[in-house]
Amino acid sequence: MLRTGQNHHRGTARQSYQLLVFFVGGRRLAVKAVDVSGISQWAEPIPVAGRTPFITSVVRQGQTVLPVFDLAASLRLTVQGSSPLCLRVKHSLGEMAMCIDEEIPVLHTLDPAMLQTYHGKDLPADGSYTNGLDEIPILSVSQLGSTE
Amino acid sequence: MTRISSPAAPSRFLIVLLGARYLALDAESIQGVLTLEEVGSPDDPTIHGLVYRAINLADRLRILDNQGSAHSRIVLLSERGVQGSIRVTTVQGWLELHPSQVLPLSPQFCGPERRWYRGMILFEKSIALVLNTSWVLDEQVASVEDSGGQGGIPRLVAAPKMSVKNSQVC
Repeated sequence: MLRTGQNHHRGTARQSYQLLVFFVGGRRLAVKAVDVSGISQWAEPIPVAGRTPFITSVVRQGQTVLPVFDLAASLRLTVQGSSPLCLRVKHSLGEMAMCIDEEIPVLHTLDPAMLQTYHGKDLPADGSYTNGLDEIPILSVSQLGSTE
Repeated sequence: MTRISSPAAPSRFLIVLLGARYLALDAESIQGVLTLEEVGSPDDPTIHGLVYRAINLADRLRILDNQGSAHSRIVLLSERGVQGSIRVTTVQGWLELHPSQVLPLSPQFCGPERRWYRGMILFEKSIALVLNTSWVLDEQVASVEDSGGQGGIPRLVAAPKMSVKNSQVC
């Protein structure tokens, strides 16, 4: 369930970053491909009463139950499309699921020279890169569960 | 003489619906399941001389529950000499499970809910959260202790403070 980006650098000597570019509420975000464990159709989440910020439900995938990180809510956005997708990420505490827009994510290879610091405060990021006028943050999956 | 190790005994749970959410209650804590008619008044029902003080579980879990359905039941709970009763939307039935079938609550849930639940059970196409009866009855413990007039005993259900920064949790 992936498209291949057009900006591949073939045969570069430097270590490049493999990113997965996806959308939440129409906003373009990226995550390191190595942090992604799967993409599937979004299933109806099962609410869990609690007080952990942005983790208020789980999704069941067969015998597996994954906590849901509500990335859209944390960004004050609403997931777009009638068939949203489930992005499974490898979190240090265990796999987590996030609901993302129905637009098919794209694999993107980033030249390390293009990596820059992300100055936004709206989400934990491992950096960002520029695509045209857009600054695309690279979501830091590990920090989604970190203590302050 | 050869010792034969026996597998862990299965546990029984009562699966109930509260609002639209499945909850599992440990059978060992359940003293009875009654209809509203059998209870008479759902406020602090008294059964065989024991007062089961009513606990508004939906309120404590912040679950929207349209009370008063014909299928509503009152579940009588008791643990370590403390009694309480909760009203549930419906009773689904009993479930017997091996302890290994009770899944731990994902560690990403790091708020006070870690004390509310003892784990999760795969149930039908959903999950049932296993309620921690001690937590449910904690309010009763606090009330009993408060009514003793000794004072100075902190309530057991105080929610710990959590730091929240941007989208970081825990």
